[in-house]
Amino acid sequence: MSANATGSEASSAGESASTTADGRLRADLVLEYPFNRTTGEIIGAFLTGLREGVIYGVRTSDGSIMAPPTDYDPNTAEPLTELVEVGPAGEVKSWTWCAEPRRQQPWNHPFAWALIRLDGAHTHMLHAVRVASPAEMRIGMRVEPKWNAERQGHICDIAYFEPVAG
Amino acid sequence: MGKERCAVIGIGQTKYASTRGDVSMAGLVREAAYRALEDAEMTWQDIDAVVLGKAPDFFEGVMMPELFLADALGCAGKPMLRVHTAGSVGGSTALVATTLVQAGIHDRVLLVGFEKQSESNAMWALSLPQPFSVSINAGAGGYFSPIIRQYMEVSQAPELIGCLVAFKDRQHALKNPYAHLHQKDLTFEQVVDSPMLWEPIRYSETCPSSDGACAMVLGNEATADAADKPVAWVQATAMRSEANNFPGRNDVSPLASRQCAQDLYRQAGIQNPRAEIDMLEMYVPFSWYEPMWLESLGFAEDGQGWRLVEDGSTQLDGGDLPVNCSGGVLSSNPIGASGTIRFAEAALQVRGLAEERQVDGVRRALGHAYGGGAQYFAMWIVGSEKP
Repeated sequence: MSANATGSEASSAGESASTTADGRLRADLVLEYPFNRTTGEIIGAFLTGLREGVIYGVRTSDGSIMAPPTDYDPNTAEPLTELVEVGPAGEVKSWTWCAEPRRQQPWNHPFAWALIRLDGAHTHMLHAVRVASPAEMRIGMRVEPKWNAERQGHICDIAYFEPVAG
Repeated sequence: MGKERCAVIGIGQTKYASTRGDVSMAGLVREAAYRALEDAEMTWQDIDAVVLGKAPDFFEGVMMPELFLADALGCAGKPMLRVHTAGSVGGSTALVATTLVQAGIHDRVLLVGFEKQSESNAMWALSLPQPFSVSINAGAGGYFSPIIRQYMEVSQAPELIGCLVAFKDRQHALKNPYAHLHQKDLTFEQVVDSPMLWEPIRYSETCPSSDGACAMVLGNEATADAADKPVAWVQATAMRSEANNFPGRNDVSPLASRQCAQDLYRQAGIQNPRAEIDMLEMYVPFSWYEPMWLESLGFAEDGQGWRLVEDGSTQLDGGDLPVNCSGGVLSSNPIGASGTIRFAEAALQVRGLAEERQVDGVRRALGHAYGGGAQYFAMWIVGSEKP
């Protein structure tokens, strides 16, 4: 979920070859490529919305709201164009505790991954809920986004979701 | 061939460009798929299965994209197959889709080949470092340049044959609105003076890196008979592969290539390809592969393919064996789609729908794709007559 580092070219392994204690040759092989991603209009609008502190879904063929949005209906494949603002708060549909976060995950302290149905949407968005322990997580709990002060059009413009006070 | 006949009912292509920044991957494949459905006068609901073809997944950094693209291609609840045979994949994707129809498994199949190369760097993606080895080539051209040099030595072809091919294909591309490169002011001298990238391959003799998708709707005989627009009947299909590194290998005209073509002609009852095939769409990413593939596919004797280039036989205007009227891979190269484009452009010619780039009176056309170290081959023959 955090922004990826990019910009490295593929590197040659030749220089780092070495002989192990038992006489075998060993070399590191690092494969790195620069990647970028084109979003298209609807996902682009969703990300631009995040930069502006707004969460968008899209109206699907049967009238329900899908958030986050795609530019096609997952059931009929018809194009979708009508953006609808959702949230910002929502309800936790399901969650799982991340006890030992990995390098590219939001924080280096434990947190909960959660599927969150934002108010007004019929589908769920994956994000992270910041609470001190699993005891504070509950299906059905209400959460709201904590926005970063500086935003760039990225899912991490929402730093995390936190329980709605009260 | 199976018991059921198969025809190309609809064709759709995206505009090819170095970066299609206006669409996501889903948007790119949908653009081609929608056009193919429109051409076939069908909707998503008419399609029984989807076959998706693409070259290595690390070209976009999305592993198994067929999974996330299934619903974008109207495939929710329907079979989705992914084909991956490196650069020949666009062709083998069409062959897999054809087999589904010929075997009577599905009546109407949508196939799409695509690549969104702007999302990574294809040249470096093709230059994987090998442990314990010094890196000696960068990009596909580095692999093929010594093979091309071998062909030039053995055939004693004039040095500028490759430049003639490059200039021809870029001229053809001017008549193809979908082509990536539209070099209106290009002169032959500019092609010759272009810097060497991988000696003897010049920059001007090298394919571009493109984003793009190409789609076809294939149907069974009943579907084809009911179509309003002309269809192209699949008359022969063949696929062959070989290792790219073994003692005694013929790198210039691989055995797999020759056997693939021979199988194709046997199925179609063709004795003399030069006389019986009206036009070719061959996979030529580096100019010299036109004379090389002409020989390997049996259109010229060994060492003589370059004469067909030199005497203008392979030109759209005035040639009797036009090659790559679309502009070919030299003018547009979204790697996963390029084979599909060859197969589709051959079908378009047979259907008489190639507009400005149409060759008069095409009754039989050959589509060809190759990949890897010139080791994977996929070919088909399409025609106006039922096989």
